[in-house]
Amino acid sequence: MRHMLLRELVGKFTRRGFLRAGAATVAAAAVGGAPLLTKATESGLSAEQSRTLVKFTRDLFPHDRLDDSFYAKAVAPLGDEAAKDAATRQLLAEGVAQLDSASIGLARKPYTEVTDETIRIAAIKKIEGGAFFSKVYNGTMTPLYNQPELWAKFGYEGPSSAQGGYRDRGFSDIPWLPQ
Amino acid sequence: MPPKFDPHDSSVVVIVGSGAGGGTLANELAKKGVSVVVLEAGRRMEMTEFQNDEIGMFGAFTWLDPRTSSGSWYVAKSSADLPAWTCKLVGGTTVHWGACALRFQEHEFKTRTRYGAIAGASLLDWPIDLNELAPYYDRAEMRMGVTGTHGIPRLPASAHGKVLFAGAKKLGYTKYWTTNMAINPVPRDGRAGCQQTGFCVQGCTFGAKWSTLYVDIPQAEATGKAEIRPESQVLRIEHDASGKVTGVVYADRTGALQRQNARIVAVAGNSIESPRLLLNSSSSLFPQGLANSSGQVGRNYMRHVTSTVFAAFDKPVHMYRGTAQSGIVMDEARLDTSRGFVGGYNLELLPQGLPSFATNLLPGEWGRDRASWIDNYVNLAGVWIIGEDLAREDNRVTLHPDRKDKYGMPIPNVHVDDHPNDFAMQHHGFQQADALYQSIGAKRTVHHQPFPSTHNMGTNRMSENPRDGVVNKYGQSHDVKNLFVSDGSQFTSSGGENPTLTIVALALRQSEYIADQMRKGAL
Repeated sequence: MRHMLLRELVGKFTRRGFLRAGAATVAAAAVGGAPLLTKATESGLSAEQSRTLVKFTRDLFPHDRLDDSFYAKAVAPLGDEAAKDAATRQLLAEGVAQLDSASIGLARKPYTEVTDETIRIAAIKKIEGGAFFSKVYNGTMTPLYNQPELWAKFGYEGPSSAQGGYRDRGFSDIPWLPQ
Repeated sequence: MPPKFDPHDSSVVVIVGSGAGGGTLANELAKKGVSVVVLEAGRRMEMTEFQNDEIGMFGAFTWLDPRTSSGSWYVAKSSADLPAWTCKLVGGTTVHWGACALRFQEHEFKTRTRYGAIAGASLLDWPIDLNELAPYYDRAEMRMGVTGTHGIPRLPASAHGKVLFAGAKKLGYTKYWTTNMAINPVPRDGRAGCQQTGFCVQGCTFGAKWSTLYVDIPQAEATGKAEIRPESQVLRIEHDASGKVTGVVYADRTGALQRQNARIVAVAGNSIESPRLLLNSSSSLFPQGLANSSGQVGRNYMRHVTSTVFAAFDKPVHMYRGTAQSGIVMDEARLDTSRGFVGGYNLELLPQGLPSFATNLLPGEWGRDRASWIDNYVNLAGVWIIGEDLAREDNRVTLHPDRKDKYGMPIPNVHVDDHPNDFAMQHHGFQQADALYQSIGAKRTVHHQPFPSTHNMGTNRMSENPRDGVVNKYGQSHDVKNLFVSDGSQFTSSGGENPTLTIVALALRQSEYIADQMRKGAL
């Protein structure tokens, strides 16, 4: 684990308990749409704000093979943090408003109602590099890609020691490679 | 039972740090009958605590104490608060190392002579050469169980390695094979054989990889001559009126300050923490910091010139399967200035699990193009360019003027300005890695700038002349005879090879010297 996200990770691991709290929220939100919204509302974000963050996260890291539940789990730690921290709550609320305002300027619709991805991307470009963008970018990336349920969808097999590693499970197999 | 030494016992050798240098030195001295106390800042983990979990293990054993960085290097922008990825636990960075165990080349010990006077660099020849170190390399390879040496077979090639080798062959390279690794291909020396888990860097769950955590430290304890004190961060080294060191002050696991007397102190805290400790041990006798009459402590910090190339194929590679770094191309490691740079580089396999790959990919970028790399994860191959970094006097570790850690010790700042040689080497490496993968059908490649440094060298460098460095050819301080440096901070040059084998070889040599000097009453 390296690069700019490290800063985020360092913060998480040094803010004691943050990840654990995030994980609990992730678990609570794991069942999909409605429970997520309930949870997010409890966290201080409105249902609409949560929906915007889920859509925004999908646009940052778009994988058609993933349904929204994966993005909801990625956003959950932000909601968790917002519940405890007024500054985060404000940052996210203002950011969602900015994103909506950019979308309305481009398509006369709030962000989640814009069906044309190129317009949503144009809206994101208007806020790219700002504090809200960075918060969501850095705060959702690891929770998104560190979901074991997600790995299989990309062909990544995850932990291997319990299966005895890959010694007898094809570590050297590559039939297509010319000899 | 490991002994418990009295804090007032001034007959012991105190070793600060338990990684490749400190752990090896402790084991060797204890086996020679010398009483040793190892003070390790991190906690003691059991092998059973290792998980195949990239994110989790990063949090579990990375050195996350505050650090800052400055200078023109990429890392100061990308991860300013974490300029290096080192470990904080018993065993140090030998717990997460990739286990590439390579010798330095002859010319890398003589950079000033062989490379000449390079503008903007402060090259210096080592006071030892390859011939002098060769017997210790032999012993290091034997005790660590390095594949491809002393009759120990090489590991089998993974699919990921086969891709690298096929491209190397196509490109006309000839020096490619599964790397000399300190990983048992078959059970050896009480440790298991490699099970090809792919999680070397998260701590080897089978113990097939050599680490001082479960090799040297328990062996040292079994002699009855060594005591390991985890969660003990040394804050200062103390000395008497004559300038000899007398002991260390450290914070124990409760944060309480303790003192341990010592006959000899050996510092092995990695190239950031070791100079930090010496600089923080200044006194009226040593106003610039301990062992620093030359002003060289903290200077000539070297990482390696590194970059990563990932290539996308249209069929599966499964780069995450198998021994992580067990493939190397060494053709570019030679000294050949016709390429436009001095020094050389190796191409080493660099797989990443999906969480690491996806979160390290193209920092700051987003959208469909970035995501398409992750969509194609299973078809990717990755290689690390690792080359020689030149010594530069102003690339250095200093004490932060204001910020302090929880014990009140100034935190370190790591300053690096890239040298034009770095960019020339990096550019060449990118071109060669691209060509290698394209020669066997890669659809596209992506280039990564350096990650935080896992290889950290220099900052207490060896020199023949006390004016030019901090320690002599045995790692002994030029200024303070009973003070030693036992880690990679002794390095006078960085070479183009992973540093651990050289650290271990130097520690073996140093242990002989220390034991001999003690016998003679010189220490």
